[in-house]
This record gives sequence, C-alpha cells and structure tokens, in this order.
Amino acid sequence: MPKISVWKYLLILWMTAVLVAGFLIRVPEIPILYETSRNLFFHVPMWFTMTVVFAAGLIFSIRYLASNRMRFDTLAESATLIGILFGLCGLLTGSLWARFTWGTWWTFAEPKMNLSAMALMIYVAYFILRSAFDDPEKRAKVAAVYNVFAATTVPFLLYIVPRQLPSLHPGADGNPAFSDLTAPELRLVFYPAVIGFIGLAVWIIQLRYRYVMLGNRLERKEAG
Amino acid sequence: MFFIFSFITMLAVSAADTLSAAYSDLWQGVSGPEQGNVVMQAMASQGLIYVVLGVSLIIWFVLIAYLVRLDKKISRLEQKLPE
Repeated sequence: MPKISVWKYLLILWMTAVLVAGFLIRVPEIPILYETSRNLFFHVPMWFTMTVVFAAGLIFSIRYLASNRMRFDTLAESATLIGILFGLCGLLTGSLWARFTWGTWWTFAEPKMNLSAMALMIYVAYFILRSAFDDPEKRAKVAAVYNVFAATTVPFLLYIVPRQLPSLHPGADGNPAFSDLTAPELRLVFYPAVIGFIGLAVWIIQLRYRYVMLGNRLERKEAG
Repeated sequence: MFFIFSFITMLAVSAADTLSAAYSDLWQGVSGPEQGNVVMQAMASQGLIYVVLGVSLIIWFVLIAYLVRLDKKISRLEQKLPE
C-alpha cells in the first residue's frame, strides 16, 4: 500500500488550522472592508505563492540550461503551470473583493490589477512558445531561456512599478502593504496562510511532475 | 461571466425572501437551529459565520482527499513502472 509523505499530513493539519483561524479570529472593524479583511488570508497568499513558484521555475530553468537534464525542464514546466493557476485565483479573488470594496470588478486605472494580469499573460506565452516545438530538446532549451526573461519581469510588474503609482490597492503609492488599514493581529494568520499555500503548491507541482515523468517512462518502455 | 452570476443572484433574491419571512414554516416539523442542541445553537450564532467555515472546510477536505488519493495512485504506478 503506497503511503504519502508525513509533511503532507502536517500540511493538511496546518492549512485546516489556518482556515479555521482565518474565519474565526476577531478582525478589527475597518470601514469599507468589514469582514472582507479576512480575504487578506486567502487573496494575498495566492500572489506570494505564485511569486515563489515562478522563482522556483526560474531556478529549474537555469539548472536545465546548466545540465541539459530533461527532468529540470519538466520541473520548470510544472512549476510555471501551477504558478499560473495560483495567479488566476489571485486575479479572480481580487476582482470579487474589488467589486464590494472599490465598487468595480475591474478598472484599468488600477496599476496592480493590470500589471499582474500582464505578468500572467507573459507566463501564458511560455506555454504557447512550448507548443511551437516538436523536438523536446529544442523546446526545453527555448522555453528555459524564455522563462529567464519571464521571471525577471515579475518583480517589476508586481512589486516595483505598482508601488510607484497612485492606487487604491494596499501596498501602492509608496505605502507598505501592511498599513493602518491592515491591523497587526491579521499577520498572525496571514504568514501561516502563506506558508500553507506554498506547501500546497509544492504538493500539486510534485504530483504534476511525477505524472509527466511516468508518461515519459511508459513511452520509453513502449519504444523498447 | 460576472454579469450572469449577478443576474442569477438577483433572480434568486427576488424569487423567495427567506431572510425576512419565516420560510421554514412551510415545512411541517422543521424548527430553527436556535431551538436545536448545543452544536446547532453554536452553528447558528455569530451571524452564521460557522456555516461559512463549515462549507469551506467541506470543500477543503474533499479536495485534499482527492489529492491524497491521486498521490497514492501515482506512487502505485511508479512502483509498477520502475526506472
């Protein structure tokens, strides 16, 4: 009977505790936000996780270029895919939150919204680029080089540029992300949530990676 | 997408006003959770936030159970198909 690693059981417990605390902790009464300040525990970790996962993808891509081992290409591809998944969750949850606090699903006047969408599109192009190659070696090499470019845009699009521009989004206009608007006790749940969601992403990336490697193994076996 | 969603929500709200009218009276023998046991009373308190937590935990446990199953299935295949 196959077993799953102990850290995955710990992760399940950890995330369950985060969910319970996230819903039940007393949040300060902040005008406009009210109970939605709890979204800090769920919306923001999506972006933290996406950033960490894309950074991991960058490392895998560089390791592929250094070693030419296909497993690093598959790891980079899996990380990028799951990063996009988390980024989409961030965009959708942010849009819903914006509707009830800013009054609109989407606004092109909001730099963080639009630049994060742009970062995601740059990563979608990674998969479009991959699909253009039939030769796995060539695909892996071009994709890895592209990923180095894509990853360097993330700090600028998500963290540097939005902070220089006027915006409704916390963490913009020179403000730190944790301002008076976000009370300090929220950090008690927020940081554990970030760790938990990153762990969850690692698990899903690992599953996707093992599935692709199994497929490759089967193909080699069938080829003889 | 969101327009469709909000339209459906509007329809649902206009169809039955279960918030201000005692809709549960339509079912014979149904009593509000505030008359139930301690667990039900606790669930019905605090503006029903525990119900939202319950719903979220159900989704979380179902998804995580699926991830665990998937992990085990992949492990089994890896054992069957050694490198």
